[in-house]
Amino acid sequence: MAQERTDEELLAAYQQGDPGSFEDLLRRHRAPLFTFLLRMLGDRERAEDLAQETFLRIVKGAQAWEQRARFQTWLFTIARNLCVDQARRDRFRRADSLDAQGPGDEPPLVDSVPGREIDPGRGAESALLRPVLQRALLSLPAEQREVFVLREQAGVPFREIAEMVGVNENTVKSRMRYALEGLRKALAAAGVSEETAAEEPAPDVRLGRA
Amino acid sequence: MTHAESQDLLLDLAYGELDAKRAAEVASHVEGCAECRKEKEALEQTRRMAAPLRDLEEPSPGFDDTILAAARAQAQLEHDGNVGQVIEVTGSVRPLGLEAARIDAHGPVQARATRRDRPRWIVRAALGGSVAAAAALALVVSNTLETRRNSERAKLARSDEYSIRVQTPADSLGSALRDAEAKRDKNRLETMKLEAAPPAQPPAAMEKEKIAQLRVQPHKPGKKAGASGVPIEGGGGDAAGKNAVKDTPAQPRENDAAGTAARASTPSPAAGATARAPGAVVSKRVQASPDVDVSVEMSEAVRKAPQGAGAAATGPAVAGAPAEAGQLKSAAPAPAASALEANAQQARHAGNYALAASLYRNAAELRQRDNDAGGAAWNLAHAVECLSAVGQFDEARRVRDELARVYPSETTALSAARRALREVDTPAGAPVQRNP
Repeated sequence: MAQERTDEELLAAYQQGDPGSFEDLLRRHRAPLFTFLLRMLGDRERAEDLAQETFLRIVKGAQAWEQRARFQTWLFTIARNLCVDQARRDRFRRADSLDAQGPGDEPPLVDSVPGREIDPGRGAESALLRPVLQRALLSLPAEQREVFVLREQAGVPFREIAEMVGVNENTVKSRMRYALEGLRKALAAAGVSEETAAEEPAPDVRLGRA
Repeated sequence: MTHAESQDLLLDLAYGELDAKRAAEVASHVEGCAECRKEKEALEQTRRMAAPLRDLEEPSPGFDDTILAAARAQAQLEHDGNVGQVIEVTGSVRPLGLEAARIDAHGPVQARATRRDRPRWIVRAALGGSVAAAAALALVVSNTLETRRNSERAKLARSDEYSIRVQTPADSLGSALRDAEAKRDKNRLETMKLEAAPPAQPPAAMEKEKIAQLRVQPHKPGKKAGASGVPIEGGGGDAAGKNAVKDTPAQPRENDAAGTAARASTPSPAAGATARAPGAVVSKRVQASPDVDVSVEMSEAVRKAPQGAGAAATGPAVAGAPAEAGQLKSAAPAPAASALEANAQQARHAGNYALAASLYRNAAELRQRDNDAGGAAWNLAHAVECLSAVGQFDEARRVRDELARVYPSETTALSAARRALREVDTPAGAPVQRNP
């Protein structure tokens, strides 16, 4: 079986005018990117919007792309920046709504975690647990959350997260420690112990290339 | 391995970011260090509990469609050359009433279409199948809104008569996607002719079809003077003849020049004068105010013209096509004709159409003497337009016939002249309004 082409090879082929290569890239990164955004935002619809916008920006920027960084880094950097923008807009909106609080006001992001992303194919424990986990995750400061999700779910190494976020690697790891600590506390407060999550598979080590 | 080092590397160990040698060193330290062991266990426990967060989730079906359509379109565009600035002029079912014909067809708003390198239908075909194109459109358009806002030339004007849309070439993807929108527009409005001439057509013939010179004017100043929704009134024979005009400048730099020309024309007193001008001759009173006058002028010829941007802003007569730009250059040693043309233009923009017509005819004679058939023909065409604008249709027809007789090969100028008279020349049955 022929070896699968790397992201960078696919993008290079797309630069040469092969749309099929882009399709491969999209298939490969669609779910990880969407999941990243879903974990960051806690809202399926907005995650989908931003995921789509991320890929459209990739399309627009593909010609100018030079292989200085991995494709995945580029992809998640765009998505992460869109998240930051979104959070900024949300802040403004919430600040606005403070002046005119009415019954129609949306609850803060933290409280609006939908349970829709339950996958019926998973174990019942996992399905029950995920909204609780998501809520705990959303209670973290955004800069800790993004580091956690990028490392834990997207499998981006600390060094690359540092590049994306624009801080040094030590800061990234420090944020990661805070994130893990914060999650542990939030889960404990929500009554989640390791026994509750016992049926989950042991953590596998996810390397960069998912 | 010190304790501090180990502490620092516990995360790397947990996430498999250490090479085998380093990992073994940390592991060996942890084994003998209660504090590190405790920390490692806590870390692993949290990760185990958080494991469901790693589960991948899929976006809804159809998520790919928009992106793939855009990717294909972009690949095609990159392959065949970027789509540049696009100006679309959509006309109404009644493209040009007599009234409109009387309004200067060659005001400061002018658009020239250049030859497109590739058939647009490729892009359309690529995008046509996309059901979700609208979503992408919204996204991309909102993306580009900022750039458009920053651009003086990106103006949007609509009216019942016709609408003008100027797109910036800033991103070809946006253009491509807006193309899809244009296609839908086309389907909606059966009277629209949005397709550009086929690429096989020679440039000269294409120019004939694509030159659009039109005048845009708000007739209700004060009411909605914003960039969007400026009510416009007026018309251009060419614009009506060709409902869609697409301008594809070769380089962004040229657009900048065009933008400068547009800026130069908009607030200038000259533009104000031209805005007021038609009010004198059009029965339906046109109240124009210079600050809401929408003047867009885009032309490579203008940029190249020796008069410079300022003059070019009021020089639509010479801004038709590259061929004409060439004529301009060759015409430089004939200052008498140029001066006449400039005066004619000035008179025309001031609403003095009779004088303008006379000056254009004089200029045509001079051009003829210089063996400049193109220049002469266009001057005659402008004379026809000016004569039509003041209702001297018989005289206008005479000039038009002269133009057809003497310069039968100047088809572009000839069609401009014919269009200026089209309303009064319509066959019996068509409602022809005659203004006192």
